[in-house]
Amino acid sequence: MSKRCHIDDPPVLPPPKRPRTIPRDHIDQISSLSDELLIHILSFLPIPSLLVCQQLSRRFHALAGDSELWKKQYYSRWVRPRARRLANARRAFFSRPEIEYSPRVSTWLDHGHLAKEGIATNWKRQCRLKHNWSRGACRVTEIEFPQPPRRQMLVTFCAGIVFTADSDHGLRAWPAEKPEHCLARIALANPPSPSFPAPTAIAAATGGPQQSLVDVTVGFEDGRFNVFTLDTTTLRLGIRFSCVECAGAAITTMASCSPFLLLVSEHKVLTLYETKSGMDGVGGLLAPRLLTSLKADSILEPISLSVRATGPKIIASIVYSFYHIGCGWSLGIQELQFGLDGQQLSSRLATTVDCHYATVSPGSRSRSKMEFRTTSYATGPGGVQNTTPHEPSISHHEPPTSVSYSHPYLLTSHADNTLTVYLVVSTSTSLSVKGCQRLWGHTSSVSAVQVSDRGKAVSVSSRGDDIRIWELESLVSSLGGQKALRDGNSIRISPENRLGRRHDSLGMVLESSHDETNGARSSLVDIPHRLARMRGCIGFDDERVLLLREKEVGTQMLEFYDFT
Amino acid sequence: MAAAGNLLTFVSADNVHIEVERDVAERSLLIKNMLEDLGEATEDIPIPNVNEPVLRKVIEWCRHHKNDPPASTEDEDSRRKTTDIDEWDQKFTQVDQEMLFEIILAANYLDIKGLLDVGCKTVANMIKGKSPEEIRKTFNIQNDFTPEEEDQIRRENEWAEDR
Repeated sequence: MSKRCHIDDPPVLPPPKRPRTIPRDHIDQISSLSDELLIHILSFLPIPSLLVCQQLSRRFHALAGDSELWKKQYYSRWVRPRARRLANARRAFFSRPEIEYSPRVSTWLDHGHLAKEGIATNWKRQCRLKHNWSRGACRVTEIEFPQPPRRQMLVTFCAGIVFTADSDHGLRAWPAEKPEHCLARIALANPPSPSFPAPTAIAAATGGPQQSLVDVTVGFEDGRFNVFTLDTTTLRLGIRFSCVECAGAAITTMASCSPFLLLVSEHKVLTLYETKSGMDGVGGLLAPRLLTSLKADSILEPISLSVRATGPKIIASIVYSFYHIGCGWSLGIQELQFGLDGQQLSSRLATTVDCHYATVSPGSRSRSKMEFRTTSYATGPGGVQNTTPHEPSISHHEPPTSVSYSHPYLLTSHADNTLTVYLVVSTSTSLSVKGCQRLWGHTSSVSAVQVSDRGKAVSVSSRGDDIRIWELESLVSSLGGQKALRDGNSIRISPENRLGRRHDSLGMVLESSHDETNGARSSLVDIPHRLARMRGCIGFDDERVLLLREKEVGTQMLEFYDFT
Repeated sequence: MAAAGNLLTFVSADNVHIEVERDVAERSLLIKNMLEDLGEATEDIPIPNVNEPVLRKVIEWCRHHKNDPPASTEDEDSRRKTTDIDEWDQKFTQVDQEMLFEIILAANYLDIKGLLDVGCKTVANMIKGKSPEEIRKTFNIQNDFTPEEEDQIRRENEWAEDR
């Protein structure tokens, strides 16, 4: 009855929110609208118009910068098309609820990482970041290091911090946003001595539950390794422990996923350590615990190591190259599974040989007699080749120039201007490699490739003049149907991007390049490509790509491609 | 519920009585909810926020759209993308700016979502593709930035311009 108690009252509408004056000509009428209404108007505008509106006045600057507006833009530009694509590709397998905008970022496919606890995401910045990645637009900063006399400098990139290690300067940490200034440094040997072995490998990983800690492991030519920890809040770099007689020979490659450390020595011995921090009973630091050690003679460089934790298991993988007589250079992947207590659960092996053959459709078999010349040598697995002999669809006559594995993506780069991508399928019962595909786009030899677990990959040509970004995710969605990645899904990034614009609008860019130089030894214009040889792609994160270049004159150059 | 054709009387802010069919009036969620709460109302309904010419314009829109499907479930996102306005609405919004903003305010006050969107899209279309100076001129917006600030903001916002 309470709802009806005012039934006898005359219908009364809420009072006007705000009295309005009668507008006359040349009066700013749009500004008399409430913020709410103006934002409603702005919500119909595309990104370029929003940016223009920010330049109108202080009020519009605030309104058009409204984070919710940008969040919706981000969603409709980047999340929704992808969700749609994935939904289409997987329709047969998954019934997905209607994809609609939801203010809860955690419900967006794979974008949960953008919703950080307690930190407001700057959505405009995220939009710009994505936009720049999609066009390959970035700013380059170069930092030169004198070449150490004995060994080349080692570099790794983790949690926005670049770590370099060499005999002369020890281990140094540089912030990726402002790489001109060293954050922290520590000598590799204490006390420093000239006879101390040179570092040969470096790996970094964020330290387990404490996200502010980064563990950096440096391996040496005599087989020892040291584990250092950088506290990113206090910027203190300290040594956690040193393991003297571990590998017995120079450590060539390492990967870590705190508290596990996987390393390969010169003698092809693969070892996995657990490096728990803490004290033992007598007040000393706990020594690293050896979990397993394997020896393999047939594995060849390049190799890629990875350690990942998946729920109750630790999975350590090594990807290596080998020569298969039927289909040329192939990859093998060995996966070791451990329980959290360090007990080995299983070890299994898969190779890419099968999928080098599998992508040929039956119809294309009898095209050429040339096929039989190669297939007569085929000793491929399973006898499949004997009954239906055909040429492998992919056959590499030279070893890959680099390998990168970040589950489930496995990528190799080749001197023949291509990349090959595979998907590693690791279930509780089997390990296999699927979806082998060539990626075209580079116009010269590709020397290095790096892939992230979100399917973004960066590849570099050997001269370093052609850097490309690949989005490999569509490959996963087409996993069932071996559909080719046809639409050119690589984006070229290079300083030329900026140089091209420089010609269009000289004045504008000159201003901004003034900002960039800003006292540091960074340059945008004169990159001496002819002098510089690419040494590799060190890594990338959501905001930047890091490359190491070697100059003939004996200096090394770190290049930061900043997309923010 | 009352049969269609049941007449209500709106009283505008400038005290003009306008008769309107109930189904037309119910395009306004504010009126609709009020009528539901009150049951059969026969008295005049004052619309204290809207004066006569604007109210007539709003009623004209409601009358034309009275048979539109109710509160569209079409998804938010595709609606935002398009600033397409149907032909009748385009003609309808060919009014001076003062009237346009009055219509937006009235639509917002009376809670007529369709009309609010049409009005806002019309304004958005007046902004689209223009330079800041052109927009300021269109709407007589006062530039209250210092030249340095303006310069800085222009540089910050350059990234998507050539798309």
